[in-house]
Amino acid sequence: MELIVALGLIVFKVAFLIAILLLLPLPLTWLERKIAGHMQQRMGPMRVGWHGLLQPVADGIKLLTKEDHIPAEADRFLFKLAPILALAPPFVVFVAIPFGESVSVLGTEITLYVSNMNVALLFVFAVIGIEVYGVIFGGWAANSKYAVLGSLRTCAQMISYEIPMGFAVIGVVMLAQSMSLLEIVRAQADLWNIVYQPVGFFVFFVAGLAEAQRIPFDLAEAEGDLGAGFHTEYSGIRFAFFMISEYAIVLLVSVLVVILFFGGWNGVLIPLPPLLWFALKVAFFVYVFIWFRFTFPRYRYDQLMAIGWKVLLPLSMANIIITGIAFV
Amino acid sequence: MSRARDTIGTWIGWAFFADLANGLALTFGYMFSKPVTMQYPDQEKWLPYPRYRGHHFLKRDEEGEIKCVACELCARICPCDCIEVVPYEDEKGNRRPAKFEIDTARCLFCGLCEDACPADAIALGQQYEFSSFSSADLVIGRDDLLAKPGKAATGGGVVAARLNTKKDVLVETKETQGYNWWRNIRRT
Ligand code: SF4
Ligand code: SF4
Repeated sequence: MELIVALGLIVFKVAFLIAILLLLPLPLTWLERKIAGHMQQRMGPMRVGWHGLLQPVADGIKLLTKEDHIPAEADRFLFKLAPILALAPPFVVFVAIPFGESVSVLGTEITLYVSNMNVALLFVFAVIGIEVYGVIFGGWAANSKYAVLGSLRTCAQMISYEIPMGFAVIGVVMLAQSMSLLEIVRAQADLWNIVYQPVGFFVFFVAGLAEAQRIPFDLAEAEGDLGAGFHTEYSGIRFAFFMISEYAIVLLVSVLVVILFFGGWNGVLIPLPPLLWFALKVAFFVYVFIWFRFTFPRYRYDQLMAIGWKVLLPLSMANIIITGIAFV
Repeated sequence: MSRARDTIGTWIGWAFFADLANGLALTFGYMFSKPVTMQYPDQEKWLPYPRYRGHHFLKRDEEGEIKCVACELCARICPCDCIEVVPYEDEKGNRRPAKFEIDTARCLFCGLCEDACPADAIALGQQYEFSSFSSADLVIGRDDLLAKPGKAATGGGVVAARLNTKKDVLVETKETQGYNWWRNIRRT
């Protein structure tokens, strides 16, 4: 009986997470287009529903009903595999993400995470690395110039940001003495990590921008110079997969920034429910992503590599050394 | 000295991403500014362009007589040869146009006819929405030209909403939906 309840709970949590992750891109695309519009003194979507609220639904239906085209010269197996490779890892990663301590429903304590791994951070980085394969395969399999260029850029980009990103969180791990995300948040109950680790946050956030393939580092899709980059040849539901994956990663990076550097669900001053605090902080960082997108131009990819190797990597190394000397 | 300080200030600003912060502040400010979009068919639109050259109109003098003296200078100067004027003599013995037609399908809205007119009788106004399914409809006669809206003294103008779906709109057939339903929308 105990086992069945526990299993049922896990299945329920996973289903809930998947539903949320699949549905969140709808309001996010709407928000993104609205914010973009208002930043450019336009209004954004206005015609479908109140202030265009139903526009993402209309777009979704459109994508579902469109022809799912595979180019004649494409590698059909990889071409079909790539969207799944891009979509699955961001979903898998959320298994390891805690959203709070626990809530009690009907007398039973329900933890707000699917699993509390003691190497959660490692798991997150390992799995999210697989997502890049989706992007690389997608561009390669399409057998089109623009798509291949997008993939090549992703390869160059990935090695430049993954390493500083991994190094940036080592400071946080040293402070919390644990790789478990739960422990990391608990360690920040008094003071958020951002106070000790501003450099780590900076490196992590810039690398996160590159990870999420967003402006200023959206070299792989670069609609200005590459058509649409790696997903140039994709249409219909497979294209939607890439879009959902992009938003899931934006969400993931925001969640990670909040957990690692901004105290997770620990609030300050105003006593709000922990889950609400968490959601508010994540929403803020998602907004920052969108805000950046419509403010900054795109870097060239040699510039991105220069930033990654010459600025972020030394900074994150120095951060580790200073953290080590000061706190251990 | 001050230049050296400027350089140092620039470097400090650069190290703390002052220029990026400026850009972010600017876009954030714009986010709360009023959009310039005019939701035209739903709401009225403003035409604040005093020098815009739109649809022609013919003017009347103080007695309500048409000003044009049918000298045909506009027809002569027109680079597209799209004005046709036929003169006649009215009861008072004045020369007036019996027929005055502009083929707006050919017109390039250069405004030369307005410049050439010795009687200040023709001008190009604000209106630019007169697309049509048949180019024959675009040949505009004398009486239509007289009825066309002129230009406000200040230039500019306001065009009322056309497709205000809440009132003043008549759908003439039973089918209010379907492929071409919008063709039946009229303003009452
Ligand atoms: S605006 Fe130019 S082209 Fe048009 S009728 Fe006048 S002279 Fe001819
Ligand atoms: S509109 Fe002016 S230029 Fe043209 S025929 Fe009349 S008076 Fe002459």
